Amino acid sequence: MSQEIAVVGSPEFTTGFRLAGVRRFENVPDDDKSTELDDAVTNVLDDEGVGIVVMHDDDLEYLSRNVRQTVETSVEPVVVTIGSGTGGGGLRDQIKRAIGIDLMDEDEQ
Amino acid sequence: MAKDVKPTRKNLMEIEDRIELSERGHGTLEKKRDGLIMEFMDILDKAQDVRGDLADDYEDAQKKINMARAMEGDVAVRGAAAALQEHPEITTESKNIMGVVVPQIESSRVSKGLDERGYGIMGTSARIDEAAEAYEDLLESIILAAEVETAMKKMLREIETTKRRVNALEFKLLPELYDGQEYIEQALEEQEREETFRLKKIKEKKEAEEKAEKEAEAAEAEAAEADQDDREDSQPDTAAQSPTANE
Repeated sequence: MSQEIAVVGSPEFTTGFRLAGVRRFENVPDDDKSTELDDAVTNVLDDEGVGIVVMHDDDLEYLSRNVRQTVETSVEPVVVTIGSGTGGGGLRDQIKRAIGIDLMDEDEQ
Repeated sequence: MAKDVKPTRKNLMEIEDRIELSERGHGTLEKKRDGLIMEFMDILDKAQDVRGDLADDYEDAQKKINMARAMEGDVAVRGAAAALQEHPEITTESKNIMGVVVPQIESSRVSKGLDERGYGIMGTSARIDEAAEAYEDLLESIILAAEVETAMKKMLREIETTKRRVNALEFKLLPELYDGQEYIEQALEEQEREETFRLKKIKEKKEAEEKAEKEAEAAEAEAAEADQDDREDSQPDTAAQSPTANE
C-alpha cells in the first residue's frame, strides 16, 4: 500500500515541502501553535494514508505531554523532526533507557 | 515463594527442571540482547550520517526558498507550491533483523523534472525551481531518515523488552527458584535426619526391650535353677533320714 508524506507546521515551514509535491499538510500559524498544533498532529497521526510526518524540532515544545510522547515513539507513521540537527530528544532518552549509556552524547564528543 | 511449595522430591525435581529451563532462557536472551545492541550500534552510525545530511539539506533548502521568497515574493512561491500535480509516494517493505521487523521505505515521484512540476515554466523563475529541487532532495533525505529512525525505535523497543526479560529472570525468577530449591533440600535433609534419629531411637528401644527380655528370661531361668537346686537339696535329707528310720 502506498502512503504519503505529511508536513505539519507554520505556513513558512510547509510551503517548501508543498513545492516538492507534498499535498498532505497542516498549516498552523505560529500564534495558534499552543492551541491548535496538538489537534493538527493527532489528525495526521491518525491518517492511515500517511507514512511519514515531517515537523520542525522547535514545534515539539508546543505539544502536550501525551501527544509529544506519541510523536516520539510512533513508528507508523514515523515522525521525522528537522531543524536543530540533533534528531529527536525522545530518541536520545530512549537510547539512554534501553542501552544504559548516552550513545548520542558519546558520538558528539 | 519458598515457603509456599511443599517440600517433596517431586516438587524439587520440578523446580530443578524450571531452573534449568530458566538458566537456558536467560543465556539465550542475554545473547539476543547483546546481538540487538550490536546491530543497533551499526544503525546508530548510519543514523548519525543520515542526520548530518538531513541538517545540511534542510539548511540548503531553507536558503533557497528564502532566496526565492526574496526575489519572487511569498505569493509567487505559494502559488507555485499550490500548482503541483505530481505527489511523492512511499511504499514500505519489511526486513527482519534478529526477529525485529524493520521497514525498508521505497519512494517514487520525489524528484521531478522541470516539466513535471505542474507550474508554468514561463511564469516562474529559476529561484523557485532551485528551491523545489532542494526540497525534493530534502524529502529524499527525510525518507532515508524515516527508515533509519523507525528501525532504531523498533530495535530500541525490542532491546528494552529483552533487557526487562533478562532482568526479571536474573533478579526475580531465578532467585525465587533457587530459594525454593534450597528450602526443599533443607526440609528433605531435615526429614532424613529426623527419620535416621527415629530409626536409631526405635532400634535402641528394641534393643533395650530385647535386653530386658533376655534378662528376665535369664532371671527366670536362674530362679528356676535355684528352685531345682532347692528341691534337689531337700530330697537327699529325706533319703538319709529314711534308712536310719528303717534301721
